Order: sequence, then structure tokens, then C-alpha cells
Amino acid sequence: MVQPLSKKYNTMHRLLQILLICFLSFPAMAQVQKSRLYDSTERHLLDEVVVTATRNERKLSNVAVPVSIISQKTIQRAGSLRLRDILQEQTGLFMTSGFGTGVQMQGLNPDYTLILVDGEPLVGRTAGVLDLNRITVGNIKKIEIVKGPSSSLYGSEALAGVINIITDKNYENKITAGSRYGTYNTLDANINASARVGKLGINTFFNSYSTDGYSIRPYSVERAKLPVWRMTPQVKLNYTIDDNTSVQLSVRYNYEHIKNELAVTNNGLIVYSKGREINKDINVIPSITHQFSNKLKTTLRLYGTIFEGSQQLATSSGQGYDDYFRQQFYRAENQTDFNLRNNLSFVAGIGYIREFVNSSRYDTKDSRKENEVKYGFFQTEWKPWKPLTLIAGFRYDDNKLYASAFSPKVAAQYKVSDKLRFQASYGKGFKAPDFRQLYLNFTNTAAGGYSVYGTLEAQRVIDIQQQSGLIKELSADYYKLQTLRPEFSNGFNAGVTYLPIPTLQWQLNFFRNDITDLIESRQVATRFDNSQIFSYINVKNAYTKGLETSIQYKFLNHFQADAGYQLLLTADKDEEALIKQGNHYFTRDENGYSIEVKRSDYIGLPNRSRHMGNLKLQYEPTSKKWYVSVRNIYRSKWAVYDKDGNGIYNKQDEFAKGFLMVNLSAGYEILNGWRIAAGIDNLTNYSDVLNLPNMPGRSYYTMLAYTFSKSKK
Amino acid sequence: MKRLSVLSALVVLMIFSVACSKSSSSPTPPLDKTNDGSFKVYTEGKVTTVQNLAGDTIIGIAPSGQPYGAGKFTFFSLVNKTIVPNSDSATSNWDIAIRGTTIITNGGTSGPGNGGGFVWVGAFDNLTAVPADSVFKTDNAPTYAITTGSGKGWYNYDGPTNLVTPLPGRVLVIRTANGKYAKIEILNYYRKGSTPAASETDAIKLAEQRFYLFRYTYQADGAKTF
Repeated sequence: MVQPLSKKYNTMHRLLQILLICFLSFPAMAQVQKSRLYDSTERHLLDEVVVTATRNERKLSNVAVPVSIISQKTIQRAGSLRLRDILQEQTGLFMTSGFGTGVQMQGLNPDYTLILVDGEPLVGRTAGVLDLNRITVGNIKKIEIVKGPSSSLYGSEALAGVINIITDKNYENKITAGSRYGTYNTLDANINASARVGKLGINTFFNSYSTDGYSIRPYSVERAKLPVWRMTPQVKLNYTIDDNTSVQLSVRYNYEHIKNELAVTNNGLIVYSKGREINKDINVIPSITHQFSNKLKTTLRLYGTIFEGSQQLATSSGQGYDDYFRQQFYRAENQTDFNLRNNLSFVAGIGYIREFVNSSRYDTKDSRKENEVKYGFFQTEWKPWKPLTLIAGFRYDDNKLYASAFSPKVAAQYKVSDKLRFQASYGKGFKAPDFRQLYLNFTNTAAGGYSVYGTLEAQRVIDIQQQSGLIKELSADYYKLQTLRPEFSNGFNAGVTYLPIPTLQWQLNFFRNDITDLIESRQVATRFDNSQIFSYINVKNAYTKGLETSIQYKFLNHFQADAGYQLLLTADKDEEALIKQGNHYFTRDENGYSIEVKRSDYIGLPNRSRHMGNLKLQYEPTSKKWYVSVRNIYRSKWAVYDKDGNGIYNKQDEFAKGFLMVNLSAGYEILNGWRIAAGIDNLTNYSDVLNLPNMPGRSYYTMLAYTFSKSKK
Repeated sequence: MKRLSVLSALVVLMIFSVACSKSSSSPTPPLDKTNDGSFKVYTEGKVTTVQNLAGDTIIGIAPSGQPYGAGKFTFFSLVNKTIVPNSDSATSNWDIAIRGTTIITNGGTSGPGNGGGFVWVGAFDNLTAVPADSVFKTDNAPTYAITTGSGKGWYNYDGPTNLVTPLPGRVLVIRTANGKYAKIEILNYYRKGSTPAASETDAIKLAEQRFYLFRYTYQADGAKTF
């Protein structure tokens, strides 16, 4: 019973986009300057400036922690539209599916990576996942990725690392516009215009994205990727009061309309649901920066963001589903940078956060849950002698709802020469329990009637149900329910960077993250109708360790090759200890007879690949008029299901197959300022219905972009 | 020239692609490849293997979504290696009986025999003697000598895949109706001893389940060694 998509819905958004494209074409008559987007192809590798690792501007070669940069050019040449598209091509990042697309970094779940837009966090996670498809890459200047705990600067969630999306801050007179159309009726259109009027700089941006979605299961009602329309306007203002003082304001809005068509199977009974999901978020950042002297600078930043998600479904079983979630996050923060001497500088900051959540997933939609955080951080950077940089810092978060957290960090870099440098760092990261883990009150009527309760709700609700005679039994984990503690990690990174020649760079980094008090959902009770009740407990201790290495090489004047590899090993420490102890975990041999699990059979955490790699090659002629880019992304098998039922993941369990994805793109500058591009994603048409529902089959696209700029000399 | 170098680069990439895409698979061969899904018992040395012993197979799904069978136990004699008719359920002719994931022994509230049992953790071959400190439990409905419930006794039920898997490393130590001892390892819960793939439909998972595959050793002389 496949229903055609609502025609009205589609036409409206198509129309809007066509209008936008028409609007783009009329500045063409004006004088045109050469596109600036191709300018940066240098013969040697660049030493770029990064801000995320230390919260102030530093040359990449001077930063003692692992940082990588994705440039605007890289994003454009990959033909990326959403944040997911470009992150999936990076070494050591894997896109997870379930509650949208999340990112797994250094083997840690999406919950543990902080995602910032212009230095401020995005909120509105579902089951810990911030859907990367929510974010357009249309106006991204660059993406900085810091790996390893960064809670010493950013607080909660920066446990595996930080992804900071830095949007275009250009205030020169310029218009850039582009549109891409491809398979699944996917249409994306961007316009970015900036201007300077006296002391005022203005930068505006608008993006619209729509797709029909797709189903990789033939004839299925259910779509792996749902039909969606998203739009993102953003306005940035920068007013220079005098040489030392400037005021900035950034307002970003994001709207997402998803059409839902689901089929949930329970013991052979299929319940169909139809409806829609609307997610909106707004981010407002006013800030003022004052430079007291060349040694002292201070910034006051206010940040407010509201995420609102609602989902309404009508189901064939008659019971509807109406879900509402609203999260508000307000923050005031002052950061002061003080350069005492050339070789000694300090960063200090204090801040205050208030957070509110209303949700129909909690006891009632109208009762507002809130949290309050006061924090301070301090970091010093010292060069006792020229080749050596030392960084030490800490942050203290005083949390109203949970235990407070102290997050120190130390890092060192030793430059043997311009060609060779060593780095090492240690940091403590934490993630505070979220509202869901405290207040969730959710019963899934479509799939067997199981319930999940947050820890503050669980005891109360189960008591009531017990008095009503609904509870058949309480499990051992019920008695472990208590106030949740934050999850902590101790992260170590050590590496080397070597540039034997200016066109070749090799990097190697070893990492280890030890995580304690991981929060997991566990079954705490069973009702008489055999439906299960789950809640959250601090139970697990785990580690992830491995190495990451990359090579960038420019050769034969026109080629650039990038290769990356990550080796990842993980384990649940308690499981590992029990395997070593012996006679606890068993699996089955080829005859089905029980044998003991050996340490070498043990896989560790599921859904993680031991090997991930990529190889990218790009060709660009001297004229820079065109380019061809081929990108290969490989991921080895990963455990998906505990087939032998022993409660752990070992070699005898079920794995998703390893795969290779090949993405191809090419572009050409037809006229001054006008560029066309085309690409094929997933050239080999690899798909895995069960384990990679978010990965479409082979898809094609074409792109047209235009840049007009008039810079004042 | 330029075209050539682009081409050669592409070729290199393709080779890399092929080199990287290796597949891994090691399917578990079935215990008895000639098995056609019918009930069968055979003995090799001390070990007897029972295939496709149906234990109240599913006949329908209740409106609540719960599948159900006819509600009857299948009785089995470990001593005689045969199915015992339901009309003999009140005799000492049987040692164990199965209904879905529930296993009963001939004793206590279940039958007139001396039966009992417990679940021992370890490999089948490593259980050479019933440990001296063992406590044999007897059935006292609704609790049984062989503990029921996912992850508690002999099996694990996985909700997302809707599959029942016998826990590896579990041996059912049984005291038979005649007061002698046997050890049982349950190998599979599905017809032909083959668990459906996790991706299989619920209809197949339900139709194929409740067919036991197990091996056992019965010590006829009453000793506690195997």
C-alpha cells in the first residue's frame, strides 16, 4: 500500500527553490571577478590557523593536541550537502544510524562528541544522537575536529572530542550562490551574500534542501531515508565601534519537515504509522570583544538556543502517537585572553548555563525540567624554551542536578625541527547525565508495550505499578537504581608529525580512552503481560584504544593524495576481566558444542570496526579551471548481534560486512565566477539494508555555482 | 599526457578498491547434514543426540501479539531415548518434558518420579562428575528445577531479533525419574538445528521455533560420573 507523496507539499518547496535559483542569476550582468574558491591550491601544504583546541587562534603546527581541519574547498569538491556527507569521508569517524545519523569518534558513541556551531553547542539530541543531517554545509568556512577529551575548555559532552563548525565570516561585498540536483529528487540551493556598510559588516545566508528519500528495501512502504524539507537562514552582523572594540550578532534558524511512514512488526503483526515530524531550532549569539592592549583581550558572549521537535503519527492499530520535545539552553560567558610575555599566555573564563526541557516523553508535557550550571576554566600556555610548548588547564562545572565535575588537561609539544614534532596530551572528559536519563517516561505501544523510565521516575512509577499489581518481578538491576553520576573518561594522545619535504606530511597518533561509570539502559522489572521495564544505571567501565595515521602528499604538480587509517580496539573492562578469570563466557564451535571464549575471540564493544581507512586522490591542472576527485572510504566488519547469546561480542557472533565506498566528483569553471560540477556517490552501489540503512545506493548529481565579489582594496 | 595521468590514477584507485574488499564468513555447519527436520535420536559412544523434538510448536498469535501453542508438554525418556505419550504424564516413564522454553523434570509438582535438576555452568565435556556440593532442585510450579526466563536458566531471548538462543556453556544436570543421573546440553531451539538469520521474517522465526536439538549422557549405573 505505497502512498504517493503529497503533491502539494512537494510543489510548494520546489517552487520556492526555483524562485531562489532565478534570483541568483541576475547579478550575472554586473562586472565579475575571478572566483576566489579555487585560489587556495598551493604547491606546499598549508599551516592553517585553528581556534577550537585552545579557544584562541593558533597555528596548527603549534597545537599540542590532535586537530584536523576540513576546508571549504574540500567540502565543495566532495559535493557535500549535509554535515554527515563530509564527516563520513574523514579518517576515524563513523556515521551511526538510529535516531538520525550520529558520529562515532575514537570508538565512542555519538553522545560523547560535542558539536558546536561557531563555538556554541547545538542542542536537541534524541537518545544522545544529534542528527548530523540537520546541519547544512552551505556556508561552512571550515570544520575543526579536536580528538581526545576537551572538557577542560568545553565542559560536558566533550569527552571523545569536539567538532566545531565555523561558518563564513566574510563581510566583503560578495554573493555566492549554488544549487545541486540529483538522485532521489534531492534539491539543494544556497545563497550567501555579504556586504560592508561603513563600520557595519553583514553576512546573510539561506539554504533549502529537499529530498524524496529512498528505500533500499524493494517495494517497502518504509523509507530508510524519509522525505524531508529543510531550510536554514542565518544572519551575522559585525559592528566595529573603534579599533579595539567590536560587537557581533549571529542568528541562525533551522527548520525540518520530515514525512513519516513506518511499519513496526511485532511477532508478525504489522502496525503501519503515517504522519509528520517537525524540528525547529534557533540559535542567537550576541557578543562583544574588547582589546584593552595588545596583551589583553576580553569577550562577553551570550547564547540562547531553543530546539523544538514534534512528531504526530496516525497508526493502523488505532492508537495515535503524539510526541513533543522542547529544549532551551541559555548561557552567558566571559573569556579573557592575556599574553603576559611572548612565551607565556593565559585564557580564563567563567560562565553560567540554564537549561529547560519540556517533553511528552516525560511525565507530562507541561512540567518543565530544569538544570543550572556554573563554571570556570583556566588555561596557560608556556614556552620555557623555543622548541617546547606546554599547556595546562582545567575547568570546574558546578551542576545543580548532578555531581560537579573537575576536568584537567595537560599537553606538550616538542619541535625537533620544522620537519619533525612530537605531541602528547592527557585530558579528563565528562558527560553529565541528560534529562532523558532522569525523567524519561516512555511506553512503546507499537512494539510490545515496553517502557523506559528515567532514574528519577523509575522508582516512583514502578512503586505505583507494583501497588496496582502489574509488576511480575523486579530484576537484580532494580536494586542498583540510584542518583546518576556523570560519565568520566581519561584520555591519552601521543603522536608525531613529520614533513620530510614541503609537499609531504605524515602524522601518527596513538590514543587511549578509559571510560568509567558509563550509563546503560538495563531491564529493571517485568510486568505480568511480560512487557519489560527499563531504566538507566551507571554500570560499565570500558576503554577504546588505537592509532590513527595520515599522509598528505602533493606530487607531479597537479596531484594531491590523502590517505588515512585508524586501528581501533575496544573492551568492556568487566567482561575482559571475566574472560581472563575463565569459566564464565562460552560460545559454540562449528558443531554447536559449547567452548569457552578465549581472549583472542573477544571483540569488545559492538558496532565498531577494527580497521577504517580512506584514500583520496585529486587532480587539478595548472590553469585551475577544472578538477577530478576520487575518494575511497573503507570500513572493516563490525559486530551487530550477539548470535550465540552469551551476552558479549566475540568472533562467533554476527557481523556486518566490511565495505568500500567510492565517491567521484569533477568540476569545471565555465566562465569567470560560474562553475559547474557533477558527481557520483557510492559508485560501486554498495548497500546493506540491515546494517547501513542510512547509506543510499549509487546516486548522481549536478551542481551549478556562482560567485560575485567586489573587494575594496 | 594529463588525461593519461588521470587515467592511471583511477586505475591505481580501482586496484586499491579491489584489494580492500575482502569478505569474511564462517557459517556453522549443521550437526547432521542429512537431517530433514524430522524427529530423530542417535547414539555415538556415551552421547545420545536428539533432533527436532517439538515442544508445543506455535499455532497462532493472540490479539495482544503473544504467540501461542496448544499448551501441551512433550514428554521424553532419557533412559529409553523415546517420546512418551501424554497419557503417561502421571507415570515415571518420562524424565524431562518441554513446552516452549519451559523444561520440567519428573518430580515435585510435575510428576510422581524422583526427578530434579539444576543448571551447571561450563562445557559439556568438562562435567565429568556431578560436583559433591550440588543441590538438586525439584519442580514447584510456577518455579522449576531448570530456571525459566531469558538469561536466567538455559536460554536467552533477544527482543529486537525475536530469537531464542540456548546459552552456551550451560549443562542441565538431571536426576531422572528413577533417581539416576544425566547431563544435557541444549544446542538449538529451531527446526533442523538452525537458528533463522536475524533478518528473517517473524513468521518464519515463529514457525521454525520450539524444536529442540540436544545431546545428553545418561549414567545407567546410578553413579554421579559421566
